[in-house]
Amino acid sequence: MSSSTSAGPGPDASDPATEARERTRGGLMGSQHRWIYLGSIVVLVAMLVIGLLSFTQVHATNEAYRKASQLSDALQAAGYPVPSQDQIVRTLGTDGGAVCSDPADALVQAQWKYGMSNGAAGPGQRPVLSDRQVVQGEAIVLSVYCPDKLADIQDKIDDFDLRDTVRD
Amino acid sequence: MSWLTLALMTTSSVASLRAAPTMAVYGLAAVFLYVLPAIVFLMPTALVSAELASGWNGGVYRWVSEGLSKPLGFLAVWCQFAMTIFYYPSLLAYVASTIAYVINPSLASNGPYTAIVIIVLYWSGVWVSSRGTGAVAGLSSWGLVIGTLVPGTLLVVLGMVFLGQGNPSAAPMTASNIFPQWTGLASLVLIVNNFLSYSGMEMNAVHVSSLRNPAREFPRSMFTASGLVLLIFILPALAISWVVPSSQLSLTAGVMQAFDSFFQYFHIGWLTPVIAVALVVASLGGMLTWLAGPSKGLLLISRQEGYLPPFLQRLNKHGIQQNILVTQGVVTTVIALAYALLPNVSSAYWIFSVITTQVYLIVYLLMFLAAIRLRRTQPDHPRGYRAPALVLTCVTGFVASAAAMAIGFVPSSQFGNGSVWVYIAIVGGGLLLLGVIIPYLFLRLRKPSWRMPEESGTEGAVA
Repeated sequence: MSSSTSAGPGPDASDPATEARERTRGGLMGSQHRWIYLGSIVVLVAMLVIGLLSFTQVHATNEAYRKASQLSDALQAAGYPVPSQDQIVRTLGTDGGAVCSDPADALVQAQWKYGMSNGAAGPGQRPVLSDRQVVQGEAIVLSVYCPDKLADIQDKIDDFDLRDTVRD
Repeated sequence: MSWLTLALMTTSSVASLRAAPTMAVYGLAAVFLYVLPAIVFLMPTALVSAELASGWNGGVYRWVSEGLSKPLGFLAVWCQFAMTIFYYPSLLAYVASTIAYVINPSLASNGPYTAIVIIVLYWSGVWVSSRGTGAVAGLSSWGLVIGTLVPGTLLVVLGMVFLGQGNPSAAPMTASNIFPQWTGLASLVLIVNNFLSYSGMEMNAVHVSSLRNPAREFPRSMFTASGLVLLIFILPALAISWVVPSSQLSLTAGVMQAFDSFFQYFHIGWLTPVIAVALVVASLGGMLTWLAGPSKGLLLISRQEGYLPPFLQRLNKHGIQQNILVTQGVVTTVIALAYALLPNVSSAYWIFSVITTQVYLIVYLLMFLAAIRLRRTQPDHPRGYRAPALVLTCVTGFVASAAAMAIGFVPSSQFGNGSVWVYIAIVGGGLLLLGVIIPYLFLRLRKPSWRMPEESGTEGAVA
């Protein structure tokens, strides 16, 4: 195509009244998309309320500290750095929290595998040779908090080609 | 559309806090893992697309059409479009599991729940996109502010408070930790694959004609977005690494669990569902930009050259490529249902992400070649911005893209100990099918009667 047919973009020569109208339309609530925006806000607020009402924090109990101590020992035995007891309790509680929630399920597995990836947050996300700690750490958590579920995915964990890409 | 809105749209399509816990594991090395790709991939992409968009409307298809050839222009926009089809199901499944995390974590493993969430959110996105670019611009911009900028700032402020209280950083911040652990191939795979963190920076150039003064405003928009993307990727990841030890991030093995650990430290665990909603908002905002961009580019070149049947070229009253969006929606729905309901598909889904990122890299290879050629063949064509050292910039970007494509053939952890050749055959076969055979069939089967150049004056049509 010749350059004559490919003139570059230039400034729009719209009149001030049109521009003012466009500006008004561009405003969030004054726009022609008002209902889309209002609908989005309503859904957003509803989700927040449901989330805040239903989200239950892990409570520190003796049982939670006993499990945390058990996990610390297991991590130490495996040669991993050990987080503080309080941090383990807050994250995993007595039942391992979301880590123990059906880890063998195909969808959970798919998301887990998809998550062993590079630092992209958009469509550039692709898998890498993941760090050993990331996967083995989870296996240790499962062995302490829900050992019955570890067996279901142990073979999958064993199948991963893992490396040591994180500095200790 | 203002240049700032376009900058926010671009940022929204590329960056989010979702990757922060993943990279926080690497501590200070996360800076290196984002800065090196920024130098060799982000900057070339930003500079080159700023020059091209300031001279030629229409996005990658127009740049490659003018610089190389029209069939290659179609190939570029096809690759950009095809890549997104496999992006939505995994993105929306992530959104579904994030929502489930705060309502009832067991829902995350529920196929019908995930399928319903994917379908409802995806088709809502199609509906919003069909209302025009203005609606997409508004929602994605606000999605970025609410879902990324505000919570990202909160993370960084809390991280600084943590250090300000005299606590030592959980990840060592000494000079010796600035580079990631070198373990040969695995580290190379990590570093080179991170180039793709910035893929998509050029995508919103298709909306350039919506700007008042594209030649001046698009480069400004591009550079603002580049700065924002860098800040969003690096600072929250660092903040998390200050507070949560990498071993604990490893233990929790999930984005929400990592944020939960962070907030639990400050005894503000109730913020976890808030950030979950924020992440959902940001993801949906990003999805909207991807729905609106590549399909528009595909429409524009198809109208000019008759690459698609007339049915797919029809516009709605807002001037939007509604039939392309709906057709894409049907295909995406089928893939999403398979993803959510068929165990073998969902477990193998990660390999589609490799294939589609390989396909997407074709866009960059073509874009950098086209930029060099356009400087030579049309040196006097008016450009609002001229990238410095264009040839060097393009060669750098081209080599980085080629390296990322080559490293895509290295089997990842998920492939385990399977045959390297089988992996290469799967990825290479997918690349061939999606990036060569299908676009070739479109070109081969097109009919002269499908051309509608006089009607290509859609919203943001070519000059």
